[in-house]
Amino acid sequence: MRIIAGFEEPTTGTLKINGQNATSLPPEKRSVNMVFQRYALFPHLDVFDNVAFGLRLRKLPKGEVNKQVTAMLHLVQLESYSGRWIHELSGGQCQRVALARALVNQPDVLLLDEPLAALDLKIRHHMLRELKRIHEETGTTFVYVTHDQDEAMILSDRVVLMNKGEIAQLGSPQDLYAAPESLFCAKFFGETNILEGRVDKITRGVADISTPLFSAKGAARNAREGETVSISIRPEAMKLTGSDAPLLAGPNRLTGHVEDIVFIGNRVVYQVRHGDNLLSCQETRPVTGIQYTPGSHVHLNWPDEAVVVLTQ
Amino acid sequence: MLRMYLWLYVLFLYAPIVIIGMFSFHSSPSLVFPFDGWSLRWYEQIFASRTFRESLWNSIIVATAASVVTTLLGATVALALIRIKGKMRDVIATICAAPIALPGLFLGIALVSGFAQVGMNRSLLTVTISHVLYALPFFVATLRSRIDYFDSSLEEAARDLGATTWQSFHLVTLPILRPSIVGAAILVFALSFDELIITVFVSGNESTLPMMIWSMMRRTVDPTINAASMVALGLSLIVITIAGAIFWLQRSAAISSRTSDLRVEANDQVDSTTEQRPQSVRPVQSFE
Repeated sequence: MRIIAGFEEPTTGTLKINGQNATSLPPEKRSVNMVFQRYALFPHLDVFDNVAFGLRLRKLPKGEVNKQVTAMLHLVQLESYSGRWIHELSGGQCQRVALARALVNQPDVLLLDEPLAALDLKIRHHMLRELKRIHEETGTTFVYVTHDQDEAMILSDRVVLMNKGEIAQLGSPQDLYAAPESLFCAKFFGETNILEGRVDKITRGVADISTPLFSAKGAARNAREGETVSISIRPEAMKLTGSDAPLLAGPNRLTGHVEDIVFIGNRVVYQVRHGDNLLSCQETRPVTGIQYTPGSHVHLNWPDEAVVVLTQ
Repeated sequence: MLRMYLWLYVLFLYAPIVIIGMFSFHSSPSLVFPFDGWSLRWYEQIFASRTFRESLWNSIIVATAASVVTTLLGATVALALIRIKGKMRDVIATICAAPIALPGLFLGIALVSGFAQVGMNRSLLTVTISHVLYALPFFVATLRSRIDYFDSSLEEAARDLGATTWQSFHLVTLPILRPSIVGAAILVFALSFDELIITVFVSGNESTLPMMIWSMMRRTVDPTINAASMVALGLSLIVITIAGAIFWLQRSAAISSRTSDLRVEANDQVDSTTEQRPQSVRPVQSFE
């Protein structure tokens, strides 16, 4: 992000903005603006002057500055705060001023460095919706750095998942969630069950995988026969049924007993013990109430599509 | 009981000032009670004295020059310190401010031999140089809290918004540091204005006001001393009042911009299409 903004130069590679090489352009010459993690608002200027800073540097006529700043303050819903000093604002308001100060310059790229990290949970959710609204209204390219997977999924069209400075995966939030390319990606977004197994056979792209306790079946992707792989199954893909009926033979099903039940309002998460594995299985809250108690014997099954094979 | 103590404390602090003040207006040369009546004769006498006027003028020149030079040097140090990251900043800032603890006697002797080494004749120039040396650590110490809290991402933010290095300095860094720099400069003026020990060592033929008062004191206990002291005190008070007024004006500008805001907010509900921005009392900054 500091490379895009121009505060640091990359050791290798080039940076292009709108197809133009910007690798060694100083920060003030780039059509890139940044929302700093701690906002970096100017304490000696009021809200209006903070937002007007960039426009005045570009020597816009006074009337134009007033018009654009007022419009921008309207967008972030801070019109009535224009004469306030920065220290008189709350965290959420500071964040919006920082956003307005950057956006008013109509940059080609807006950089946001964990902009919600300093806010508490409630304001965070509110600001997240605001950001999404402003993103949609302005149509500016946002580059948004976050450690929060929910923020990433809610806001993004494209997500670049980085692991130790390298790109682990690039794709839409749905791709990253449903088709992770590596164990790191699978574990990063949301909860999942990771199991180890061996590919026994691949027929027409479908792998039969055996684990010490049960067998699974799913798209082989780039796995080869005989290879040891990890499989990821999302908790919400698992279906829980009572153990009155005998377990049908075949892959992608197993039997176990409920070890723990976590009630999260609209959802219920069951921890099901199967040998050494503890699997979590998530269901929407049954309207008839929770039927199982810890210790209940249950069957679990899931569709072939839910099995994501990850080579190591 | 505690209140009693407080009054005693105030009495102890201000009795000398009140007594000197009173006797500087005394109509008789007596420096003891009973008090005979008021007159300005000692002030007339002191201002008629060439030595007094010259030493007062010398003191003002030295204090002004010392505060200007100290401010330039000290502010440069502060700006450099801002750019140092991490623990080194603390270490270097402490080194820069530590000579506060140096005894004036020591500094005076060191400076005398120092000037002799380089062959400089003692004059108001050596006095000024010495005062700068003496006041610089105080200046840096006064600015330290400001330096510690200065967020260097502010400069990056300015660059990001299109400011050149120079613009980000004079539109962001300097305005943020300015109130502290002004305060520290006034402190330096006051320090220099009544510095005696070092001055005694390094001055040449021209004397400063504290030196002149001190030498008068050695000869006789002359009532004009009271008047001279009051003039010195008065000047210091003026400088402090100016500093106070600057801070007060800044603060009241901030407060009135707040209240004018409330008014505008009320107006907004009636007419929200007003194109004028809510006016604040302080001048709107223009970047030309």
